[in-house]
Amino acid sequence: MKYLKIIIIGLLVACYSCGGSEAPEPVFKTELTKITSKTENGIKVTLFASTGFFVGYNAVTAKIEDKNGKLINGKISVKPIMKMKTMSHSCPIELPNGTFKNGTCQFNPVFVMPSGEMGSWRIEFNINGTEVKVPVNVSAPEKARLVSFKSMTDAKTKYFVAFIDPKKPKVGRNDLEIAVYKRESMMKWSAVTGMKFQLKPWMVSMDHGSPNNVAPVHTKNGHYKGTVNFTMTGDWQVRLTMKDGNDKVCGKPYFDLYFQ
Amino acid sequence: MRHFIIGIILLWSIQPGFGQTEKEKAWLDSMKSETHIGVEMQLDPVVVTDSARLAQLTTPMMLMKLRSTDQLMHRLSGVNMIRRGSFANEPLLRGLTSDRYVISIDGMRIYGACTDKMDPASAYIETINLKSLDVSFGPGSNTNGSATGGGINFGLKKPVFNPDTPFKASANTSYYSVSHGFDQSLDLNYSMKKLALRLSGVHRKAGNYSNGRGEKVRYSQFEKTNYSASLNYRVNKSSLLTVDFVGDDARNVGYPALPMDVAFAKAKMMAVAYLANKLWVLREPEIKLYHNNIKHKMDDTQREQVAMHMDMPGNTRTTGGFIKGLLHNGQKSRLSLQADFHKVFWHAEMTMYPNNPNQKPMFMLTWPDIHRSIAGINLGHQYSLAPDQQLQGSLRIERATSFISSNFGERQLSVFDKSGTEHRNEILINLSAGHSLQLGQSTQVTSSLAYGERLPTASEQFGFYLFNQQDGYDYLGDPDLKKERNIHLEFRQSTQKQNIQLETAVFTYWFNDYIMGVYDPSLSNMTIGAKGVKWHRNTGDALMLGGEVRIKNQWFGTLKSELNAQYVYGQDADGEPLPQMPPLKISYTIDQKAGRWHFQPEFIWSSAQNRISSKFNERATDSFFLANLGISKNIKLPSGAFRMTLSVNNLFDLAYREHFDIGSILRQGRSIDVLLSWHLN
Repeated sequence: MKYLKIIIIGLLVACYSCGGSEAPEPVFKTELTKITSKTENGIKVTLFASTGFFVGYNAVTAKIEDKNGKLINGKISVKPIMKMKTMSHSCPIELPNGTFKNGTCQFNPVFVMPSGEMGSWRIEFNINGTEVKVPVNVSAPEKARLVSFKSMTDAKTKYFVAFIDPKKPKVGRNDLEIAVYKRESMMKWSAVTGMKFQLKPWMVSMDHGSPNNVAPVHTKNGHYKGTVNFTMTGDWQVRLTMKDGNDKVCGKPYFDLYFQ
Repeated sequence: MRHFIIGIILLWSIQPGFGQTEKEKAWLDSMKSETHIGVEMQLDPVVVTDSARLAQLTTPMMLMKLRSTDQLMHRLSGVNMIRRGSFANEPLLRGLTSDRYVISIDGMRIYGACTDKMDPASAYIETINLKSLDVSFGPGSNTNGSATGGGINFGLKKPVFNPDTPFKASANTSYYSVSHGFDQSLDLNYSMKKLALRLSGVHRKAGNYSNGRGEKVRYSQFEKTNYSASLNYRVNKSSLLTVDFVGDDARNVGYPALPMDVAFAKAKMMAVAYLANKLWVLREPEIKLYHNNIKHKMDDTQREQVAMHMDMPGNTRTTGGFIKGLLHNGQKSRLSLQADFHKVFWHAEMTMYPNNPNQKPMFMLTWPDIHRSIAGINLGHQYSLAPDQQLQGSLRIERATSFISSNFGERQLSVFDKSGTEHRNEILINLSAGHSLQLGQSTQVTSSLAYGERLPTASEQFGFYLFNQQDGYDYLGDPDLKKERNIHLEFRQSTQKQNIQLETAVFTYWFNDYIMGVYDPSLSNMTIGAKGVKWHRNTGDALMLGGEVRIKNQWFGTLKSELNAQYVYGQDADGEPLPQMPPLKISYTIDQKAGRWHFQPEFIWSSAQNRISSKFNERATDSFFLANLGISKNIKLPSGAFRMTLSVNNLFDLAYREHFDIGSILRQGRSIDVLLSWHLN
């Protein structure tokens, strides 16, 4: 969020200083790189992120310009679509509100599979009624940042748990943030809010845990925050047990981490 | 001239407290033997004193057993040794570990660099460099630092000014059958008018020893080299400049009782001192600056079936100095002053390599760059109340600052909501008062009361998941640990009648905020196979009671005997036995001299120890009875002497362990030892 704020300020400064006549490249802080851009129906959309898009919870900033390169305002909707041979599906997405200002829009797609032979991703924007479809490449990270499973209670509901923080884990105390979604239909995904978690970081190669962790609890929009502690560097597994409102175990997702 | 030399050397022994005169005499005697030509060949002037007035002068025969500093200390009354292997044992003073006493070398503070206590500072000193060994019990009698258990100060040998025979030398070589061990040592002294030099070197190497069952004890080998150089320069008639250097280099040291061995342990110590007759208001002042550096590396590459290979290097650096002397030295009263300062740095880390090549190495800081600086001031006063009564008092005030400087270490501590980077300051106070009374011609009664405080050790305050093989738990240091305090009360009696000398001591230590490991069931162990995790905690009150008895007899002109007995009882805050309490142990040594021959049988009996600490997973220890035998002969040479010694240790090849031995490792079985010594001048 800090970076986003910086970007917004940067963009604002850029806009005002140039009087809106010629929109220069906004002053983006480091760690955000340009991923791709597409001009369609007179609108140019450029996507920025800290890394390339990956399977999991992505933070994306879109720069939206008209054909003259002027940053615009207006209404927006965003839908990531996976186009496969026989079918298409979407994925969870967070878009704070349906409007954008100063040519900047932040949103968080949670890609559920990588691009590849199976199919390809594109992000479909509707900007003030104009369609812009931006093809994007989504890769699978070395360590999975998204885990999906069928609920152990009904063996039907498909849950997707995304690992958001720590992005750069380190020895000691780390803020933990995860987000939980479920698939209602191919095109409809929703945040899951009523879950309870148990947390157990585990050092697999030595078979020990770490103390004083705080299991993530729901904050809003399916996000859960807690604290995870690591007593040493190495290969850690963040093991979670997810329980529903009836205290029934829905699943036991885990995430592998490595840091030194 | 000789008086001057003796006076100068005496300065090393300035320690307020009881036993002063006794000690001075011993030092004086040792000086005589060093400056007298032809007498010195009889014994290396190893003078052992302790402040409990149980002074011991070693006989030539005993030297056979004094192969190492460990064995020397093991023979002292009130001292036992925690054994992890046949090398670098940890002295236990009346059942108190090195956490509770101060180790110093000629007043220089020194700290071991191993988180698992594989290298108590005594491991870096060889007997050939030892002039004296001062063991003090309780908080009152040690001037080198605040502690609840007392202290050990090793006095190093100094070059001797001797214009009559400028060059002196001695050489020793020995063989130990039990471990096929060979030792060699060389000691050279050269004296000029204003300059005297001393050089010494020791090399010791031993293989795996055999225990009393005839089994080879694997990983009990060791090899070490110790070298020292010292220089005395006479600046003018009344002042002296001394420079000391000691290096110690141990390699491939096995620790059969521990899961790891040692690849190397290297120590370098240096000191510069200035001594004079008078400086400003200070009489006989000594000013000293010192530095020492220890590098230690644990190693498990020699072991088979290691669950996980680990690299565990450690390092300590200590720099300091002191000034001490007498403020007043009158007929009836004597006031001594010492001001000292030192800084110490501890670093230890652990890298773990999983056997599975797909898994990545892991790293943690076990001593996260710990800094501590200590400034202390010490006052000692002795006052002659009446011809037969003496009063003594001492006060030490110390200010200590401790913190860690590693960000990584700070993050490790954040796991427990703790911080180590803030500077923690403590004021420590040690106080003592004593009274001694002469009853008639032959008996002296001494009573003393002391109050002591100590800081938590580096491991107790900042250690991170340190595995302790003794109880099988991982230990965590607590930065917020409070100081430990105690009160020490002791009564001593000494009676000398004709050919018999009887000395007894009874004592009690009452601890407050006794620091001990407390099991935390909410934490999971880090070390594979450990039983859980313990925090170092201030546990409450602990109590210790005990006593020592010594009877020395001179039967006929040439037959002497000495009996020593010791026992300590201890209980922790929950009323359960304290761990590592010495059971009743009695040793009886006979020394028969016949011409140039010495014949010395020795018997040691230890009772079983069934008062054990279940929290500490202590095991009961059986009683044992041990016999040793030694014969030596001196041969006079035109300019020196030659001595041969043959001894049989553990005559009955008994399979035994002492209560302080870690694990189930048995001690050495029967060993036939040969020692050849040669002295020039």
